[in-house]
Amino acid sequence: MDSVITQSFHVEGYRKGFDEGTRQGMIDGRKHRASHGAKLSTEVSFDYGFGITWKCLLQNNTDVKARKRLKALESPLGLILKFPHEEPQYENLQEDMEKVRAKFRLVCSLLNVPTDFSDYVKSGGISF
Amino acid sequence: MNDTLALLQKFNAHPDSRCWYVAWNPKGTLLASCGGDRTIRIWGREGDSWECKTVLQDGHQRTVRKVAWSPCGNYLASASFDAKTCIWKKKNDDFECLTVLEGHENEVKCVAWAPSGNLLATCSRDKSVWIWEVDEENEYECVSVVNSHTQDVKHVVWHPTQELLASCSYDNNVCVYKEEDDDWECRATLEGHTSTVWGLTFDPSGQRLASCSDDCTVKIWKECQPEEGTDAAWKCVCTLSGFHGRTVYDIAWCPLTGALATACGDDGVRVFKEDETADPDQPAFSLSAHVPKAHTQDVNCIAWHPKEAGLLVSCSDNGEIAVWNYQSGV
Repeated sequence: MDSVITQSFHVEGYRKGFDEGTRQGMIDGRKHRASHGAKLSTEVSFDYGFGITWKCLLQNNTDVKARKRLKALESPLGLILKFPHEEPQYENLQEDMEKVRAKFRLVCSLLNVPTDFSDYVKSGGISF
Repeated sequence: MNDTLALLQKFNAHPDSRCWYVAWNPKGTLLASCGGDRTIRIWGREGDSWECKTVLQDGHQRTVRKVAWSPCGNYLASASFDAKTCIWKKKNDDFECLTVLEGHENEVKCVAWAPSGNLLATCSRDKSVWIWEVDEENEYECVSVVNSHTQDVKHVVWHPTQELLASCSYDNNVCVYKEEDDDWECRATLEGHTSTVWGLTFDPSGQRLASCSDDCTVKIWKECQPEEGTDAAWKCVCTLSGFHGRTVYDIAWCPLTGALATACGDDGVRVFKEDETADPDQPAFSLSAHVPKAHTQDVNCIAWHPKEAGLLVSCSDNGEIAVWNYQSGV
Protein backbone atom coordinates (compact mmCIF):
# COMPACT_ATOMS: atom_id res chain seq x y z
CA MET A 1 0.00 0.00 0.00
CA ASP A 2 2.86 2.33 1.00
CA SER A 3 4.65 1.77 -2.29
CA VAL A 4 1.52 2.59 -4.30
CA ILE A 5 1.08 5.88 -2.43
CA THR A 6 4.81 6.71 -2.82
CA GLN A 7 4.58 5.86 -6.52
CA SER A 8 1.63 8.21 -7.05
CA PHE A 9 3.44 11.02 -5.21
CA HIS A 10 6.42 10.47 -7.53
CA VAL A 11 4.20 10.69 -10.58
CA GLU A 12 2.42 13.80 -9.35
CA GLY A 13 5.68 15.41 -8.25
CA TYR A 14 7.20 14.73 -11.66
CA ARG A 15 4.19 16.12 -13.49
CA LYS A 16 4.10 19.31 -11.42
CA GLY A 17 7.85 19.77 -11.84
CA PHE A 18 7.61 19.24 -15.58
CA ASP A 19 4.75 21.73 -15.91
CA GLU A 20 6.59 24.33 -13.82
CA GLY A 21 9.75 23.82 -15.88
CA THR A 22 7.81 24.18 -19.12
CA ARG A 23 6.16 27.38 -17.89
CA GLN A 24 9.45 28.89 -16.71
CA GLY A 25 11.16 27.75 -19.91
CA MET A 26 8.56 29.56 -22.02
CA ILE A 27 9.05 32.75 -19.98
CA ASP A 28 12.84 32.57 -20.26
CA GLY A 29 12.66 31.66 -23.95
CA ARG A 30 10.38 34.58 -24.69
CA LYS A 31 12.72 37.01 -22.88
CA HIS A 32 15.73 35.58 -24.70
CA ARG A 33 13.99 35.79 -28.06
CA ALA A 34 12.84 39.35 -27.45
CA SER A 35 16.29 40.47 -26.36
CA HIS A 36 18.09 38.89 -29.31
CA GLY A 37 15.40 39.96 -31.72
CA ALA A 38 15.77 43.53 -30.49
CA LYS A 39 19.57 43.44 -30.89
CA LEU A 40 19.25 42.03 -34.39
CA SER A 41 16.65 44.54 -35.51
CA THR A 42 18.72 47.39 -34.01
CA GLU A 43 21.64 46.23 -36.12
CA VAL A 44 19.57 45.74 -39.29
CA SER A 45 17.86 49.14 -38.89
CA PHE A 46 21.18 50.88 -38.26
CA ASP A 47 22.67 49.25 -41.36
CA TYR A 48 19.66 50.25 -43.41
CA GLY A 49 19.78 53.86 -42.19
CA PHE A 50 23.53 54.01 -42.82
CA GLY A 51 23.10 52.60 -46.32
CA ILE A 52 20.21 54.90 -47.29
CA THR A 53 22.10 57.96 -46.01
CA TRP A 54 25.13 57.19 -48.15
CA LYS A 55 22.90 56.40 -51.11
CA CYS A 56 21.38 59.89 -50.81
CA LEU A 57 24.80 61.47 -50.47
CA LEU A 58 26.22 59.65 -53.49
CA GLN A 59 23.35 59.50 -55.96
CA ASN A 60 23.86 62.92 -57.51
CA ASN A 61 27.56 62.38 -57.94
CA THR A 62 28.46 61.22 -61.44
CA ASP A 63 32.14 60.30 -61.05
CA VAL A 64 33.28 56.70 -61.49
CA LYS A 65 34.19 56.14 -57.84
CA ALA A 66 30.79 57.32 -56.60
CA ARG A 67 29.06 55.04 -59.13
CA LYS A 68 31.09 52.10 -57.83
CA ARG A 69 30.18 52.86 -54.23
CA LEU A 70 26.52 53.21 -55.09
CA LYS A 71 26.60 49.87 -56.85
CA ALA A 72 28.27 48.28 -53.82
CA LEU A 73 25.52 49.70 -51.57
CA GLU A 74 22.74 48.14 -53.65
CA SER A 75 23.68 44.65 -52.54
CA PRO A 76 23.34 44.93 -48.73
CA LEU A 77 20.34 47.28 -49.02
CA GLY A 78 18.64 44.76 -51.29
CA LEU A 79 19.35 41.94 -48.84
CA ILE A 80 17.89 43.94 -45.95
CA LEU A 81 14.72 44.75 -47.89
CA LYS A 82 14.24 41.05 -48.64
CA PHE A 83 14.70 40.15 -44.96
CA PRO A 84 11.71 38.22 -43.61
CA HIS A 85 11.12 40.49 -40.62
CA GLU A 86 7.97 38.63 -39.59
CA GLU A 87 9.47 35.16 -39.67
CA PRO A 88 11.38 34.31 -36.50
CA GLN A 89 12.00 30.75 -37.67
CA TYR A 90 13.67 31.79 -40.93
CA GLU A 91 16.43 29.18 -41.36
CA ASN A 92 18.92 31.27 -43.28
CA LEU A 93 18.88 34.12 -40.75
CA GLN A 94 22.48 33.73 -39.57
CA GLU A 95 23.83 33.18 -43.09
CA ASP A 96 22.00 36.22 -44.49
CA MET A 97 23.13 38.40 -41.58
CA GLU A 98 26.74 37.36 -42.25
CA LYS A 99 26.28 38.33 -45.92
CA VAL A 100 24.86 41.73 -44.94
CA ARG A 101 27.71 42.32 -42.48
CA ALA A 102 30.32 41.32 -45.08
CA LYS A 103 28.76 43.62 -47.70
CA PHE A 104 28.72 46.55 -45.29
CA ARG A 105 32.35 46.03 -44.39
CA LEU A 106 33.17 46.16 -48.09
CA VAL A 107 31.17 49.38 -48.48
CA CYS A 108 32.89 50.93 -45.45
CA SER A 109 36.25 50.03 -46.96
CA LEU A 110 35.30 51.74 -50.24
CA LEU A 111 33.99 54.81 -48.41
CA ASN A 112 37.02 54.92 -46.10
CA VAL A 113 34.73 54.82 -43.09
CA PRO A 114 35.93 52.88 -40.03
CA THR A 115 33.61 49.98 -39.15
CA ASP A 116 33.56 50.53 -35.42
CA PHE A 117 29.90 51.19 -34.76
CA SER A 118 29.99 49.78 -31.25
CA ASP A 119 28.51 53.01 -29.84
CA TYR A 120 25.37 52.33 -31.84
CA VAL A 121 25.13 48.61 -32.35
CA LYS A 122 26.24 45.56 -30.44
CA SER A 123 26.32 42.86 -33.10
CA GLY A 124 27.95 39.48 -33.09
CA GLY A 125 25.37 36.79 -33.67
CA ILE A 126 23.44 34.57 -31.34
CA SER A 127 25.40 32.18 -29.15
CA PHE A 128 24.30 29.46 -26.76
CA MET B 1 67.62 6.44 -49.31
CA ASN B 2 69.57 8.07 -52.11
CA ASP B 3 67.83 11.37 -51.40
CA THR B 4 69.52 13.99 -49.24
CA LEU B 5 68.68 17.27 -47.59
CA ALA B 6 71.90 19.11 -46.75
CA LEU B 7 72.24 22.33 -44.76
CA LEU B 8 73.93 25.09 -46.78
CA GLN B 9 73.62 28.02 -44.40
CA LYS B 10 71.89 28.96 -41.16
CA PHE B 11 71.67 32.48 -39.81
CA ASN B 12 69.88 34.52 -37.20
CA ALA B 13 67.43 36.61 -39.18
CA HIS B 14 65.24 38.15 -36.49
CA PRO B 15 67.25 38.45 -33.26
CA ASP B 16 65.40 37.61 -30.02
CA SER B 17 62.13 36.95 -31.81
CA ARG B 18 60.30 34.55 -34.08
CA CYS B 19 60.90 34.40 -37.79
CA TRP B 20 57.38 33.78 -39.09
CA TYR B 21 57.69 33.64 -42.85
CA VAL B 22 60.12 33.62 -45.79
CA ALA B 23 59.36 34.30 -49.45
CA TRP B 24 61.51 34.27 -52.57
CA ASN B 25 61.01 36.98 -55.17
CA PRO B 26 59.92 35.62 -58.59
CA LYS B 27 63.49 35.73 -60.01
CA GLY B 28 64.92 34.03 -56.94
CA THR B 29 67.50 36.77 -56.36
CA LEU B 30 66.03 38.04 -53.09
CA LEU B 31 64.53 36.47 -49.97
CA ALA B 32 62.08 38.41 -47.81
CA SER B 33 61.57 37.40 -44.18
CA CYS B 34 59.33 38.81 -41.47
CA GLY B 35 58.95 38.30 -37.77
CA GLY B 36 57.87 39.05 -34.25
CA ASP B 37 60.26 42.02 -34.10
CA ARG B 38 57.81 43.89 -36.42
CA THR B 39 60.35 44.08 -39.23
CA ILE B 40 60.71 42.79 -42.76
CA ARG B 41 64.22 41.92 -43.91
CA ILE B 42 65.41 41.51 -47.47
CA TRP B 43 68.28 39.09 -48.04
CA GLY B 44 70.45 38.91 -51.15
CA ARG B 45 73.09 36.45 -52.25
CA GLU B 46 76.73 37.39 -51.76
CA GLY B 47 78.78 34.54 -53.19
CA ASP B 48 77.77 31.44 -51.25
CA SER B 49 75.98 33.19 -48.45
CA TRP B 50 72.92 35.36 -47.90
CA GLU B 51 73.35 38.88 -46.52
CA CYS B 52 70.80 41.34 -45.19
CA LYS B 53 70.30 44.10 -47.78
CA THR B 54 67.44 46.06 -46.26
CA VAL B 55 65.43 46.25 -43.06
CA LEU B 56 61.88 47.68 -43.25
CA GLN B 57 61.12 48.59 -39.69
CA ASP B 58 58.55 51.37 -39.54
CA GLY B 59 55.75 49.75 -41.44
CA HIS B 60 53.95 47.87 -38.70
CA GLN B 61 53.17 48.29 -35.01
CA ARG B 62 52.97 44.57 -34.31
CA THR B 63 54.29 41.21 -35.56
CA VAL B 64 54.54 40.87 -39.32
CA ARG B 65 53.05 37.46 -40.01
CA LYS B 66 53.53 36.96 -43.76
CA VAL B 67 55.05 38.63 -46.80
CA ALA B 68 54.30 38.12 -50.49
CA TRP B 69 56.00 39.34 -53.66
CA SER B 70 53.96 40.53 -56.63
CA PRO B 71 54.37 38.39 -59.79
CA CYS B 72 56.41 41.18 -61.43
CA GLY B 73 58.74 41.30 -58.40
CA ASN B 74 58.47 45.07 -57.97
CA TYR B 75 56.10 45.06 -55.01
CA LEU B 76 56.03 43.36 -51.64
CA ALA B 77 52.92 42.99 -49.47
CA SER B 78 53.15 42.43 -45.71
CA ALA B 79 50.37 41.18 -43.43
CA SER B 80 50.51 42.13 -39.77
CA PHE B 81 48.85 41.54 -36.42
CA ASP B 82 48.27 45.30 -36.32
CA ALA B 83 45.30 44.60 -38.65
CA LYS B 84 46.98 46.27 -41.62
CA THR B 85 48.47 45.10 -44.90
CA CYS B 86 51.28 47.26 -46.31
CA ILE B 87 52.17 47.43 -49.96
CA TRP B 88 55.82 48.28 -50.53
CA LYS B 89 57.32 49.40 -53.84
CA LYS B 90 60.88 48.37 -54.65
CA LYS B 91 63.12 51.29 -55.59
CA ASN B 92 66.63 49.99 -56.34
CA ASP B 93 67.79 48.44 -53.06
CA ASP B 94 65.18 50.16 -50.97
CA PHE B 95 61.44 49.88 -50.47
CA GLU B 96 58.90 52.60 -49.84
CA CYS B 97 55.45 52.08 -48.43
CA LEU B 98 53.00 52.79 -51.23
CA THR B 99 49.75 52.24 -49.39
CA VAL B 100 48.20 50.63 -46.35
CA LEU B 101 45.14 48.38 -46.76
CA GLU B 102 42.81 48.67 -43.80
CA GLY B 103 39.51 47.06 -43.02
CA HIS B 104 40.15 43.82 -41.17
CA GLU B 105 38.95 44.00 -37.58
CA ASN B 106 41.98 42.33 -36.09
CA GLU B 107 45.20 40.40 -36.93
CA VAL B 108 45.81 39.86 -40.64
CA LYS B 109 47.19 36.35 -41.00
CA CYS B 110 48.09 36.17 -44.66
CA VAL B 111 48.39 38.09 -47.90
CA ALA B 112 48.74 36.58 -51.37
CA TRP B 113 49.06 38.01 -54.86
CA ALA B 114 47.14 36.45 -57.77
CA PRO B 115 49.32 35.32 -60.72
CA SER B 116 47.77 38.09 -62.87
CA GLY B 117 49.15 40.71 -60.49
CA ASN B 118 45.78 42.53 -60.49
CA LEU B 119 44.29 40.90 -57.41
CA LEU B 120 45.37 40.48 -53.83
CA ALA B 121 43.79 38.36 -51.10
CA THR B 122 44.06 38.84 -47.33
CA CYS B 123 42.62 36.84 -44.45
CA SER B 124 42.30 37.47 -40.76
CA ARG B 125 41.39 36.32 -37.26
CA ASP B 126 38.14 38.21 -37.89
CA LYS B 127 37.11 35.09 -39.91
CA SER B 128 36.90 36.91 -43.24
CA VAL B 129 38.74 36.75 -46.55
CA TRP B 130 39.06 40.02 -48.48
CA ILE B 131 39.81 40.29 -52.19
CA TRP B 132 41.38 43.54 -53.41
CA GLU B 133 41.82 44.82 -56.96
CA VAL B 134 44.74 46.94 -58.17
CA ASP B 135 44.12 49.40 -60.96
CA GLU B 136 46.50 51.00 -63.49
CA GLU B 137 47.11 53.91 -61.14
CA ASN B 138 48.27 51.54 -58.39
CA GLU B 139 45.15 52.13 -56.34
CA TYR B 140 43.89 49.28 -54.25
CA GLU B 141 40.21 48.75 -53.66
CA CYS B 142 38.35 45.99 -51.89
CA VAL B 143 36.03 44.08 -54.24
CA SER B 144 34.74 41.36 -51.95
CA VAL B 145 34.51 40.40 -48.30
CA VAL B 146 33.66 36.73 -47.79
CA ASN B 147 32.70 35.18 -44.45
CA SER B 148 32.76 31.46 -45.24
CA HIS B 149 34.84 30.37 -42.30
CA THR B 150 33.53 30.26 -38.75
CA GLN B 151 36.92 30.85 -37.12
CA ASP B 152 40.33 32.51 -37.59
CA VAL B 153 41.50 32.18 -41.22
CA LYS B 154 45.17 31.19 -41.29
CA HIS B 155 46.25 31.18 -44.92
CA VAL B 156 45.16 32.09 -48.45
CA VAL B 157 46.70 30.88 -51.69
CA TRP B 158 45.90 31.53 -55.37
CA HIS B 159 45.69 28.88 -58.07
CA PRO B 160 48.79 29.06 -60.32
CA THR B 161 46.85 29.60 -63.57
CA GLN B 162 43.14 30.25 -62.90
CA GLU B 163 41.42 33.00 -60.94
CA LEU B 164 40.63 30.73 -58.04
CA LEU B 165 41.44 31.22 -54.39
CA ALA B 166 41.72 28.80 -51.46
CA SER B 167 41.77 29.54 -47.72
CA CYS B 168 42.14 27.46 -44.57
CA SER B 169 41.13 27.99 -41.00
CA TYR B 170 41.00 27.18 -37.31
CA ASP B 171 37.54 25.79 -38.13
CA ASN B 172 39.33 22.71 -39.68
CA ASN B 173 38.12 23.47 -43.20
CA VAL B 174 39.51 24.60 -46.52
CA CYS B 175 37.34 26.88 -48.71
CA VAL B 176 37.68 27.41 -52.45
CA TYR B 177 36.42 30.68 -53.99
CA LYS B 178 35.52 31.80 -57.50
CA GLU B 179 34.24 35.06 -58.92
CA GLU B 180 30.60 35.17 -59.99
CA ASP B 181 29.06 38.46 -61.26
CA ASP B 182 31.77 40.69 -59.79
CA ASP B 183 31.45 38.99 -56.44
CA TRP B 184 33.66 36.35 -54.90
CA GLU B 185 31.88 33.38 -53.36
CA CYS B 186 32.84 30.18 -51.62
CA ARG B 187 32.21 27.40 -54.15
CA ALA B 188 33.48 24.44 -52.16
CA THR B 189 34.22 23.57 -48.54
CA LEU B 190 36.78 20.82 -48.07
CA GLU B 191 36.16 18.94 -44.84
CA GLY B 192 38.34 16.20 -43.49
CA HIS B 193 41.01 17.59 -41.21
CA THR B 194 40.23 17.11 -37.53
CA SER B 195 42.00 20.25 -36.36
CA THR B 196 43.23 23.68 -37.52
CA VAL B 197 44.44 23.76 -41.11
CA TRP B 198 47.59 25.91 -41.16
CA GLY B 199 48.86 25.85 -44.74
CA LEU B 200 47.94 25.25 -48.37
CA THR B 201 49.82 24.81 -51.63
CA PHE B 202 48.78 23.99 -55.19
CA ASP B 203 50.74 21.53 -57.32
CA PRO B 204 52.52 23.03 -60.38
CA SER B 205 49.54 22.30 -62.69
CA GLY B 206 46.94 23.53 -60.22
CA GLN B 207 45.00 20.27 -60.41
CA ARG B 208 45.72 19.35 -56.82
CA LEU B 209 45.83 21.16 -53.52
CA ALA B 210 47.81 20.04 -50.48
CA SER B 211 46.84 21.10 -46.96
CA CYS B 212 48.64 20.66 -43.66
CA SER B 213 47.17 20.66 -40.20
CA ASP B 214 47.37 20.62 -36.43
CA ASP B 215 46.08 17.03 -36.73
CA CYS B 216 49.66 16.15 -37.84
CA THR B 217 48.59 15.10 -41.33
CA VAL B 218 48.90 16.38 -44.86
CA LYS B 219 45.94 15.91 -47.23
CA ILE B 220 45.98 16.01 -51.01
CA TRP B 221 42.76 17.20 -52.65
CA LYS B 222 41.78 16.89 -56.30
CA GLU B 223 39.03 18.67 -58.17
CA CYS B 224 36.46 16.21 -59.53
CA GLN B 225 34.77 16.73 -62.87
CA PRO B 226 31.46 18.38 -62.05
CA GLU B 227 28.16 17.19 -63.37
CA GLU B 228 26.15 19.47 -65.63
CA GLY B 229 25.07 22.56 -63.69
CA THR B 230 26.73 21.75 -60.38
CA ASP B 231 29.78 23.27 -58.73
CA ALA B 232 33.08 21.45 -58.85
CA ALA B 233 33.76 19.29 -55.84
CA TRP B 234 37.14 18.61 -54.30
CA LYS B 235 37.86 15.18 -52.92
CA CYS B 236 40.62 14.08 -50.59
CA VAL B 237 42.66 11.60 -52.64
CA CYS B 238 45.53 11.01 -50.23
CA THR B 239 46.35 11.52 -46.54
CA LEU B 240 49.92 11.44 -45.25
CA SER B 241 49.72 10.42 -41.61
CA GLY B 242 52.23 8.97 -39.19
CA PHE B 243 55.08 11.11 -40.56
CA HIS B 244 54.82 14.21 -38.42
CA GLY B 245 55.14 14.21 -34.65
CA ARG B 246 53.44 17.56 -34.15
CA THR B 247 51.46 20.26 -35.94
CA VAL B 248 52.42 20.75 -39.58
CA TYR B 249 52.63 24.54 -39.94
CA ASP B 250 53.52 24.96 -43.58
CA ILE B 251 53.70 23.03 -46.82
CA ALA B 252 55.23 23.89 -50.19
CA TRP B 253 54.93 22.13 -53.54
CA CYS B 254 58.04 22.61 -55.68
CA PRO B 255 57.03 24.16 -59.05
CA LEU B 256 60.10 22.61 -60.72
CA THR B 257 60.30 19.05 -59.37
CA GLY B 258 56.89 18.32 -57.81
CA ALA B 259 58.47 17.49 -54.44
CA LEU B 260 56.45 18.40 -51.33
CA ALA B 261 58.21 19.98 -48.32
CA THR B 262 56.75 20.46 -44.84
CA ALA B 263 57.57 22.60 -41.80
CA CYS B 264 56.70 20.97 -38.49
CA GLY B 265 56.21 21.85 -34.84
CA ASP B 266 58.56 19.00 -33.95
CA ASP B 267 61.40 21.22 -35.32
CA GLY B 268 61.82 19.00 -38.39
CA VAL B 269 61.83 19.61 -42.12
CA ARG B 270 60.63 16.83 -44.42
CA VAL B 271 60.49 16.31 -48.17
CA PHE B 272 58.04 13.89 -49.81
CA LYS B 273 58.23 12.52 -53.32
CA GLU B 274 55.30 11.28 -55.36
CA ASP B 275 55.31 7.61 -56.41
CA GLU B 276 55.27 7.66 -60.19
CA THR B 277 53.57 4.29 -60.51
CA ALA B 278 50.48 5.25 -58.50
CA ASP B 279 47.05 5.85 -60.06
CA PRO B 280 46.67 9.64 -60.68
CA ASP B 281 43.33 9.57 -58.85
CA GLN B 282 44.92 7.85 -55.87
CA PRO B 283 48.37 9.40 -55.59
CA ALA B 284 50.91 8.06 -53.15
CA PHE B 285 53.80 9.91 -51.54
CA SER B 286 56.79 8.60 -49.66
CA LEU B 287 59.16 10.33 -47.28
CA SER B 288 62.23 11.16 -49.32
CA ALA B 289 64.34 13.18 -46.84
CA HIS B 290 63.99 14.26 -43.21
CA VAL B 291 66.06 16.49 -40.94
CA PRO B 292 64.65 15.87 -37.43
CA LYS B 293 66.20 18.86 -35.68
CA ALA B 294 66.36 21.31 -38.58
CA HIS B 295 65.89 24.08 -36.04
CA THR B 296 65.86 24.18 -32.24
CA GLN B 297 62.23 25.29 -32.17
CA ASP B 298 59.05 25.05 -34.30
CA VAL B 299 59.56 25.43 -38.02
CA ASN B 300 57.04 28.02 -39.22
CA CYS B 301 57.61 28.25 -42.94
CA ILE B 302 59.16 26.40 -45.85
CA ALA B 303 59.73 27.72 -49.39
CA TRP B 304 61.20 26.27 -52.57
CA HIS B 305 63.40 28.45 -54.77
CA PRO B 306 61.45 29.39 -57.93
CA LYS B 307 64.36 28.81 -60.34
CA GLU B 308 66.93 26.55 -58.74
CA ALA B 309 65.69 22.99 -58.32
CA GLY B 310 66.33 21.59 -54.85
CA LEU B 311 67.07 24.89 -53.13
CA LEU B 312 64.85 25.17 -50.06
CA VAL B 313 64.59 27.67 -47.22
CA SER B 314 62.98 27.30 -43.78
CA CYS B 315 62.51 29.58 -40.77
CA SER B 316 61.78 29.07 -37.12
CA ASP B 317 60.48 30.38 -33.79
CA ASN B 318 64.11 30.79 -32.75
CA GLY B 319 64.50 33.60 -35.31
CA GLU B 320 66.70 31.59 -37.67
CA ILE B 321 66.57 31.00 -41.39
CA ALA B 322 68.12 27.83 -42.82
CA VAL B 323 68.98 27.24 -46.48
CA TRP B 324 68.97 23.63 -47.71
CA ASN B 325 69.92 21.67 -50.78
CA TYR B 326 67.61 18.78 -51.60
CA GLN B 327 68.89 16.19 -54.01
CA SER B 328 66.91 13.26 -55.24
CA GLY B 329 68.91 10.17 -56.06
CA VAL B 330 66.59 9.11 -58.87
